[in-house]
This record gives sequence, structure tokens and C-alpha cells, in this order.
Amino acid sequence: MSRYLLLTVLTLFSHSLLAATPIIEIEIRDHLFYPAEITIPADTKIKLIIINTDNAAEEFESYEMNREKVIPAGSKGVVFIGPLRAGEYPFFGEFFPKTAQGKVIVK
Amino acid sequence: MLLNAVIIILREVIEASLLISIFMAFCQTYNVSRRWLILALAIGLSTAALYAVNISIVSQWLDGVGQEVINASIHIMVYLVLLVFLTLAMTIKTGRNRPLIMLVMLIGVTFASIREGSEIILYIHGFVGIPELLPPVLMGGVIGAGIGLSVGVLFYYLLVNLSSKHGAQLGILLCLCVAGGMILQATQLLSQADWIASQYPLWDTSMWINERSVIGQLLYALVGYEATPMPIQVISYISALSLMIMSAAFSYIHSSRPQS
Repeated sequence: MSRYLLLTVLTLFSHSLLAATPIIEIEIRDHLFYPAEITIPADTKIKLIIINTDNAAEEFESYEMNREKVIPAGSKGVVFIGPLRAGEYPFFGEFFPKTAQGKVIVK
Repeated sequence: MLLNAVIIILREVIEASLLISIFMAFCQTYNVSRRWLILALAIGLSTAALYAVNISIVSQWLDGVGQEVINASIHIMVYLVLLVFLTLAMTIKTGRNRPLIMLVMLIGVTFASIREGSEIILYIHGFVGIPELLPPVLMGGVIGAGIGLSVGVLFYYLLVNLSSKHGAQLGILLCLCVAGGMILQATQLLSQADWIASQYPLWDTSMWINERSVIGQLLYALVGYEATPMPIQVISYISALSLMIMSAAFSYIHSSRPQS
């Protein structure tokens, strides 16, 4: 029993230690996302690094992915997304929603 | 831009406004001093300004998820405040715990105003350098804040003017609504920070009430509505509210027993 428990614990930890989380960078410039579309594999956790080069703060928001984070002006922020099922997940900048639009395509 | 500002500010103001109206109505009904409110708002809003100014530094803490962890802690703190408040409020007729209740309300409003205030400051501040957008954003902000405060005032008068039984029932219900919203937001932030593992949603109600809609946004602010909650969010929500109900019920039964 305890051996199984140990095995389970080790499996859980090795998974999080060995499988390095892929990193994708998104830049906010002139209230637009670059790139505005990113493609990621299904069932995978991704670390987004969002770099805001504007003079105004922006809020990275996605209802579909349940994500919401203020990225300060001239700064950057980390947002983990996924694992997600295949499909399209729009995101937008809540402070400048007219221009700042993008989506995550999960394949 | 104007409508966007109205919604953003309304969503921030309504949570704090509701919390304050519950506490104010409680003070009015049970004759508790309300002087603590000014102190709570003063500490809360000045800390909010400090937080907003240093947001870039905070964001870099804990490998880039400092903001999530601090905000989640604030949400959990407001939940704990509501848990303790509701438990102590059940003993109000015994006359004990009054100073403690005031302290708890002070802490609650302080933390709520740090969270909501900093978000508003960050949002408005971004438009200071954009002269053509600043007026509509300020105008929208004033309207949003006005609606948010009006909702608070409405609930205040409703709570104060209902019979004591129904007022107490509505007050408890509102406490549970706000508390549930706090727990939901905290779990969402911790999953975004990868402090708790992200899970596939348990259900999807976005075809009935979309989170983008005005109703969805209001429900989000009032009860923490989430169209696609993760299992851990649903479990936390139910556990947190059950704990509050049990704690309040226990306190009520205990305090209404004749003292020997």
C-alpha cells in the first residue's frame, strides 16, 4: 500500500518537475496583441508571458479560459493557461477592448 | 469606451458597496457605532494607491504571479471576515463582542477597498496620457460608481426597513453571496498562478447566461457567477458557504440558550 502511495507521489512530482511548461510570449503594443493568435496543443499547460510596451495598463482577460490579469504599463506578467480541450478561446484587453483582441487556438 | 468604463467601474464598486451596505445596515439596526467606516476607507484607499503605484514590482514577485497570490489572499481575507462577522452577528443580542464586530467590519472594508480601489486607479491612470479618451472614461467611471453606490444604498434601505426577521434573512443571504464570490475569485486566481492545478470545467452555462452580458457581469459581481467553473471551484464554493452556515447556526443556538 505504502509502496503504491510512494509511486503515486513520485509520479505526480516527476510529472511537474520533468515536463517543463512551454512558454509563449505575447506583446501588447499600441493596444494590440502581437501575435493576436497563438496555437497550442490540447491538454497542455502553457505559461504565457505578456509584455506590455504601452504607457497604459492593460487587463488580459478571457471568459472562455477564466483568466484575468492586469499587466502594468511598461511591464510584463505571467498567466498560466490550460490544459484546454481542442477549440478556440478568445481573449481581449479589457481596458482597450476595441483593439486588443486575440485568440488561443487549441489543436 | 464610455460603456466599457461604466461596466468596469460598476463591477469593482458594486462588491465593496454591497459589503459596506450590509455592515452599515447591521450597525443601524443594532445601534453599533459607524465611525470605523471612515478609517477603513482611508486606510483601504491609501493602501490601494500604494499597491497600484507598485503593481509592476508586485507582479514580478513569486516568479511573476505575485499579483494573483496577493489578490487571492485579499479575497480569502474578505471571506474570513464575513465568516467571523456572521458568526459574531448571531450573538449581537447578548451585547458581547461589539468591539470585535466593529474590528472585523473595519478589516473587511479595508481589504475590499484595497482590491477594488487599486483596480480602479490602474484603469483610470492608463488614460491620463490619452487626452481624447480621458473624458469619456471619467464620465463612464462616475456613472458606473454612481450605479454601484445606488445598488448599495438600495440594499441598505431594504435591509433597514424590512421586519427584523426578514432583514436578518436578507442580510445573511447577501453575506453568503459576497463570500461565495470571494472564494470563487480566489480559486480562479490561484489556478491562473498555477498554485492549484487547472482543471477542465465541470459544466458550461454560457449559452444561458454569458459572462460577457450585463446580467452575467452583475451576477459575477454579486454571487461570483462563473459559466465554466472547475470542480475545485464548485467544491470550494459549497464548502466555504456550508462552513459559514454551520458556524452561524452554531453561534445562534449557543447564544440564544439561557446563560446559567
